[in-house]
Amino acid sequence: MSAETKTLFAQHFWKDSNRTLEHYLTAMNGYESAKKVLGSMTPDQVIEEVKKANIRGRGGAGFPMGMKWSFIPKNSQKPKYLVCNADESEPGTCKDRQIIRYTPHLLIEGLIIGSYAIGCHHAYVYIRGEYVREAELLNAAIAEAYAKGFLGKNVMGSGFSIDITVHRGAGAYICGEETGLLNSLEGKRGEPRVKPPFPAVSGAFSCPTAVNNVESIANVPHIIRLGGEEFAKLGKIDKSGGTRLISLSGHVNKPGVYEAQAGSMTLRQIIDEFGGGVWKGKKLKAVIPGGSSSPVLTAEEVDVVYDVEPLMKIGTMMGSAAIMVIDEDTDMVKLLLRITKFYAHESCGQCTPCREGCHWMESLLHKIVHGEAKPGDIDLLVDVAGNIGGKTLCALGDAAAMPVQSFVKRFRSEFDAYVKGQKSHA
Amino acid sequence: MPKCTIDGKEVEFAPGENLVTVAKRAGVEIPVFCYHPGLSVVAQCRMCYVEVEKMPKLQTACSTAAAEGMVVKTQSEAVKKGRAGTMEFLLLNHPLDCPICDKAGECDLQDNSFGHGSALMRHSEERRTYVDVDMGPVIQKNMNRCIQCTRCIRFGDEVAGIHEMVAIKRGNNIDITTIDGKQLKTEYAGNYSDICPTGSLTLRDFRFKKRAWMLKKTATVCEGCSKGCNMEVQHEGNVVYRCVPRENLEINKYWMCDEGRFNYHYAQDESRILSPMKKSGGSWLVADWDAVLGDLRADLSGKDALCLVGTDLTLEEMTAIREAMGTISNHIRLASFGTAGVESTSLDGPQDAILKMKSKTSNLNGAEKLGIAPLSGPAKAETVVVFRGGRAQLPKIESGKVYGAGVFLERDRAALTAILPGLSFLEKDGVVVNHQGREQRLGRALTPRGKCKATGEILMLLMNRKAVSA
Amino acid sequence: MTEKTEKHLSEKFYDAMKGLEPRYPDKKALILPALHQAQKEYGWLPKEVLAEVAQYIGVHEAQIREVASFYTMYNLKPVGKMHLKICTNVACCLRGADGLMEFAEKKLGVRCGETTPDGLFTLSEEECLGACTTAPAMMANDDYVENLDIQGLNQFIEKVKHER
Repeated sequence: MSAETKTLFAQHFWKDSNRTLEHYLTAMNGYESAKKVLGSMTPDQVIEEVKKANIRGRGGAGFPMGMKWSFIPKNSQKPKYLVCNADESEPGTCKDRQIIRYTPHLLIEGLIIGSYAIGCHHAYVYIRGEYVREAELLNAAIAEAYAKGFLGKNVMGSGFSIDITVHRGAGAYICGEETGLLNSLEGKRGEPRVKPPFPAVSGAFSCPTAVNNVESIANVPHIIRLGGEEFAKLGKIDKSGGTRLISLSGHVNKPGVYEAQAGSMTLRQIIDEFGGGVWKGKKLKAVIPGGSSSPVLTAEEVDVVYDVEPLMKIGTMMGSAAIMVIDEDTDMVKLLLRITKFYAHESCGQCTPCREGCHWMESLLHKIVHGEAKPGDIDLLVDVAGNIGGKTLCALGDAAAMPVQSFVKRFRSEFDAYVKGQKSHA
Repeated sequence: MPKCTIDGKEVEFAPGENLVTVAKRAGVEIPVFCYHPGLSVVAQCRMCYVEVEKMPKLQTACSTAAAEGMVVKTQSEAVKKGRAGTMEFLLLNHPLDCPICDKAGECDLQDNSFGHGSALMRHSEERRTYVDVDMGPVIQKNMNRCIQCTRCIRFGDEVAGIHEMVAIKRGNNIDITTIDGKQLKTEYAGNYSDICPTGSLTLRDFRFKKRAWMLKKTATVCEGCSKGCNMEVQHEGNVVYRCVPRENLEINKYWMCDEGRFNYHYAQDESRILSPMKKSGGSWLVADWDAVLGDLRADLSGKDALCLVGTDLTLEEMTAIREAMGTISNHIRLASFGTAGVESTSLDGPQDAILKMKSKTSNLNGAEKLGIAPLSGPAKAETVVVFRGGRAQLPKIESGKVYGAGVFLERDRAALTAILPGLSFLEKDGVVVNHQGREQRLGRALTPRGKCKATGEILMLLMNRKAVSA
Repeated sequence: MTEKTEKHLSEKFYDAMKGLEPRYPDKKALILPALHQAQKEYGWLPKEVLAEVAQYIGVHEAQIREVASFYTMYNLKPVGKMHLKICTNVACCLRGADGLMEFAEKKLGVRCGETTPDGLFTLSEEECLGACTTAPAMMANDDYVENLDIQGLNQFIEKVKHER
């Protein structure tokens, strides 16, 4: 990989001293973008710039952020809300945690600019409950920003007022789903809502709301500083601008959060050049490319360009850019059981296929692993997954179904071995 | 009006209507569980799938608003497979309780399984079970049967106004319950049984008494108060087993209160007086109609008399009473009575934020429209005759001769000296006027028991007696 | 809901809540923060505390119960002084979390989900904590312990025992 690769975040990670407001102001063009926006740009101009930047949502769905902001009705009399999704619970994902720990002011500045763009005066950061220390760090950074007049009334003398409140979750993956998050913010069970209405029309407290990922918002100061077109050009692939933070974990020599220009590397390159290759001299067996919800790939499939559309074309997804590397010694059936157990545990229970189906899939896999399965059970498992995927109120159903379908499709022989009694739970 | 197409048939719709409603108009019944027209839409059960042209995934009809030119298929292979999938999931944990479950025969789960499910069970794992809580005297809870449609939760929240029925935990472990063994506080608890699509919430009052398919159903109006909720009496062999609300969007929508729902019991009480009786020497003796009517006629002729007319009678009965009394003598004063403190419609009004009214009789408005003034001052006369349907509360009566015509239980006898047993609202037709001024028809469900006679007949017999002293 | 409940939570709780009130347009949005604050103070959330939170927010007790029971971080049963939550999800699983859990169970003499008889440790299994690149990881009360191995876990447990 070229040494000239531009990074916008990674160079600031791992040093506690980098998170201070002072460092942000002196070494990171701190709040210059907000100053520019509040001083000389209209909200529409900001949204235009973000649109030009081709920044896809970095939470998992990949929806263009500029377009999302443009859905907020300008002529609504209701207050508007910008909500940052810091629920980061997709297994394999730990990049937003890095941003909050080491570059919190990028997030804060992004929230100021985003709020201005959509007419919001109170932004919320919904942070997963387990990130206790991260919430403390973020609150400390917010306090710094208030003290320096970057938050509160009349920010930098612009007349624009913005408050930020950090709202802690309490342990529920489903609160990463935007309407589940909004319900949780409102003090309810974090159950996803029926759409329509969409959050842009009726979101937080029944008001127009934009929900965006931490990394997406933290990129906004960069977009304003570089200009939308320059930011877009950082991406080496059509429709994907900027850089991507990649959480690389599992059986690699150097797990970590890395940054690459969008679409500039293949999955194999990421594993070898960032990750130092598969650990312990082992052979690669499989890769989960975009968080545990994404269909698994075999070792033969990793020469794909690592970005949204190339991955979609081969039947998987980039999701939250969380790559989990799996070596030759791994039991894929047991691994699938663990993944399925996760979804059954996290299902909110509202809709029938997810509530009943995820648990059924877990039971079937449990039987398979413990040598209690009948020959037809593998096909039954796949059929059940097919009755869940595409049939649920929210995407958790799809997220539970896709691993089952992809694992069985690509590693069928391992499942057969269990059922035939050639393998059993040690 | 905008149009859409459902299974090839063009249907008009009003903007905002969902596809379940619109399909019904086209004669297409889309199976549902969580959807209820009186509650918010949650699209959770995933039963009401339909195929909508141009949309890649199946859509839930309850949460999809009809649009101009929309083309909807409710019988495609994909839809059938979707519904069968949902039914399979719902039956994974549902116990095979039909033989002992009150809901059998009127159960949405049975009906939808029969219509859209598979006959084959592919699931052989252990079923999920719960420990049941005691929800109080009205509702029997069986959580094993619950399919988590959340109609009950939404009812408590949106209609009853008490957030006491909740779902705790999440995922496959969801338990829908009241907390800490608390009993349901709402006075509308009976509706939980109506809306539950399975036998998870049933009426204790109805438990194990009668199979639903054996019941005959008669439409009538509740006599509990001046709201006039539309009601259905369900009976067999001249016995009422259950009353349930009937839909009327202008009055009670889909609901009724527990007081009205269980009100009918008094008319079937063991101690209801079913034969003419008169008090003689301190004790009550059964008499024959002739004797009691003779006494009454004599006591009404030329003497100072008061005729109390219950505001729980029908318009026809009240009119007949007034005419009859007028024919019999000029000295009979007429006065209405019903609920203490609510003598006129101006004193009537809502008792709660949902349905209940202050007047606990069904025809206060009717009595007023007929010009029968309410009792003012003491109920005092030489002879008093009281006509009532059963709900009107007897005022304090100062008289040596008090004739009660209508429905009385043993405990009511203290105020009376003779009884002419009449018909309850279950046993008669007629019109009552609710607080809104709506005239509504009662529907006769039962035939009279014992020696009870209709008010009209009693009056006719009374008028035909010659005015001779006893 | 209208009955007066005995106060189990301190002035500190009410002051903290008062400070948050102006930040939300609806008092019910304070339910999650209130439960966190109450648990911080009380250690866990018994019925009486939940009832008090319900009274503060102004909702039916059952509403607080349904919310509290949805989220895994709210302890509706008492927990030990040190709550160890070992992640066994994919990334941690790939890096040996199952072995760690087995070790912890043996070391503490309890099964996953249980509390040691002396009330010092509660051992739980946890879903992905977001420390995947430093796996295996666990939460020890509010803190993350990452790059965990059996030796490290053993030392950690010993340290807690000694500092008790």
